Amino acid sequence: MTAGEGLPERVLAIWCPGWPDAGRETGTAGNDAGPGGGAAPGAGQRAHRAPEFGQVVSVVEGFCPRVEVLRPGACAIGVRGPARYFGGEAALAAKIIDAVADGGIACRVGIADGLFAACLAARHARGARPPPTVPPVPPAHPGAATLVAPGRARAFLAPFPVSVLNSPGDADLAGLLPRLGIRTLGEFASLPAADVVNRFGAPGVIAHRLARGLDPRPLAPRPPPADLSVSVEFDPPARQAEPVVFAAKALAGRMHDGLAAGGLACVRVRVQAVWEDGREITRLWRHDGLLSALAVAERVRWQLADGPPAQPGPPPVPAPPAASKPAAVQVPAPREAGGRAADGYPGGITLLRLAPDQLVRDQGRQLGLWGDAVVTDRVARAAVRVQAMLGHDAVTRPVLAGGRSPDEQVTLVPYGGGHDRMLPPGGPGRAGEPWPGRIPPPSPATVYPAPLPARITDGSGATVAVSGRGVVSAPPARMSADGAPWLAVTAWAGPWPVTERWWHPHTARRRARFQLVTEDGAAWLVAVQAGRWLIEARYD
Amino acid sequence: MARPTPLPLRRHDEGPVPDAGMLPVLPALRELLPGGLRRGTVVAVGGWGLLCLAVVAGASAAGAWCAAVGLPQLGVAAAAEAGLDPGRLLLVPDAGVRWPQVVASLLDGCELVLLRPPGRPSAQVRARLAATLRRCGGVLVAAGGWEGAQARLLVAGQEWAGIGAGHGRLRARRVQVVADGRGVAARSRTRWLWLPGPDGSVGSADRLTTPAPGMRETG
Repeated sequence: MTAGEGLPERVLAIWCPGWPDAGRETGTAGNDAGPGGGAAPGAGQRAHRAPEFGQVVSVVEGFCPRVEVLRPGACAIGVRGPARYFGGEAALAAKIIDAVADGGIACRVGIADGLFAACLAARHARGARPPPTVPPVPPAHPGAATLVAPGRARAFLAPFPVSVLNSPGDADLAGLLPRLGIRTLGEFASLPAADVVNRFGAPGVIAHRLARGLDPRPLAPRPPPADLSVSVEFDPPARQAEPVVFAAKALAGRMHDGLAAGGLACVRVRVQAVWEDGREITRLWRHDGLLSALAVAERVRWQLADGPPAQPGPPPVPAPPAASKPAAVQVPAPREAGGRAADGYPGGITLLRLAPDQLVRDQGRQLGLWGDAVVTDRVARAAVRVQAMLGHDAVTRPVLAGGRSPDEQVTLVPYGGGHDRMLPPGGPGRAGEPWPGRIPPPSPATVYPAPLPARITDGSGATVAVSGRGVVSAPPARMSADGAPWLAVTAWAGPWPVTERWWHPHTARRRARFQLVTEDGAAWLVAVQAGRWLIEARYD
Repeated sequence: MARPTPLPLRRHDEGPVPDAGMLPVLPALRELLPGGLRRGTVVAVGGWGLLCLAVVAGASAAGAWCAAVGLPQLGVAAAAEAGLDPGRLLLVPDAGVRWPQVVASLLDGCELVLLRPPGRPSAQVRARLAATLRRCGGVLVAAGGWEGAQARLLVAGQEWAGIGAGHGRLRARRVQVVADGRGVAARSRTRWLWLPGPDGSVGSADRLTTPAPGMRETG
């Protein structure tokens, strides 16, 4: 560690497996879409829904009031104060794991210098693939915590592959570095910083600082030039979420206007909601200049879905404790006894405040000159509402990509979050490039997300086989799709052998494809791989 | 016969026009769906297939947004070849048990919603979605049965061209489509279509211009 580079703040990251978005930090989601990953990213399971994460955040808030929610499934706190209070970092981690586990949710905890190292430490706390060499400090808690000693972040990060740098800003960097022979963060970190600037530009500097265990940008402490926070009061107090969320959208628009006027973007946004009995809930949400006003309003909705903190510190006090202005009249909550009303809140919300946190200079974003389908407000609203119901991954937009089989020709990208802007046109492979051996049009209208098993036999009842030289053992005569009744094959064409990614042990595949027409008039795209027949698609 | 009303030219960031009574359809489908897709109605297509995509392709090409619910198997490449704009397509592959709410939310933003209901929708669900449709002026295209649909399309017969016993490949399909419905569309009509044609597009392939006797819908 060179002198003069201050160590980043100690950070504790909490990662709960199973949330829709939780894999994005280390870029695993991006990697899955890598060489011909096809439609796989859309098929993630949804174990939890985003708003439920509020439960975890509430627990963590019991340890440290300033919790930064990175995304549903991951949050972080500054560790210095709480560690001193709870008797050390290891003790703090153990307490947090126990407290979260009491709510029935498993979590992993990592403590390291800086957010990047802490997130990686949390993800690799247990179960996940360990880095090739031993971590510098053995896990202090038998459960699921990894502690990286102060100043050891660089050594901890060194064995990780560079693909973990795959954040939206430097997506191509993670692909470029391995091609240059730089495979681990340690190798990347050992490059001279000046050369990295010359070769990779601003995103390279950020990635290089991360790889060296530093904060992505040098600390530039300066006071915000003006109070850019915006707030709205509700009189009478709002008892439903809808008007608050609606107001939040306008409020976020005002906040963004204020930021834009100063040429600034905020890394995080602090959302504070105050109830009429003085209880309040404040939460930090990752922003990075990417969230639209609508997305901020959606964060507000998630925050409100948790309701006010369970125990009001000093329950209904006559005077509001500081935060709200004196003008906010305290009305006793009429439905307090019944707890939360059907779709309202005990009492009502009197104040909502959005405050930008950690101001940075806005680097700007360039929309493509052509080819960006502009999402209208109406469509965005509908999509976000469905995401609020079903989770972030439930709404996707298709991107035509290159590939030989129908399932590879489309990549599904979760809607929103700024990622649709970052998408390279054409995804992993370009649609326009030649793909020798691709199935020619017309394309099938039904593409099975997972190929169906099938049985295809010749006239004598023996399974049809294709030799290594592409010779069919006998013409296919009958087909049974996934246990369905046998159908006679009336026409067929093939085999069309294809050997893909033979250089890659995990994604290599060797298939011979056929087109079949069965007696019911249906047409199928089937393939045989390692002696097993699969139905890839149906022309219907 | 009323000419199909084309969507007026709009700026890309403007909202949909709620009062233009019809959404356009592909030229090949104009005789089956006279005038296009009437806003606020349900079009039922016998089963999932390229016909569903062809029904929405005309309006999508004219600038309407389309959402597909409950169709994880939707072949986007086939949709694009049929004329649908994949840039204006939202996919909700698995809407779960709350699919009526999901469809209602999507109808607020998209003019076309392609739906494969997980089961037989109850009368209550159908009535609620019909009210949403009337309010938003969208069109719901249901793959599978939908009682009370204003228009119904059914594939009655099909034959593939270009493929033989061990040679050739699938090049085109001639499909006989039967349409009937309520009101002005009540009389049953039958047309032959290329679905898909040799380049994946949808075209007319009429061989019989008069409705064949006994070609009533059976489902």
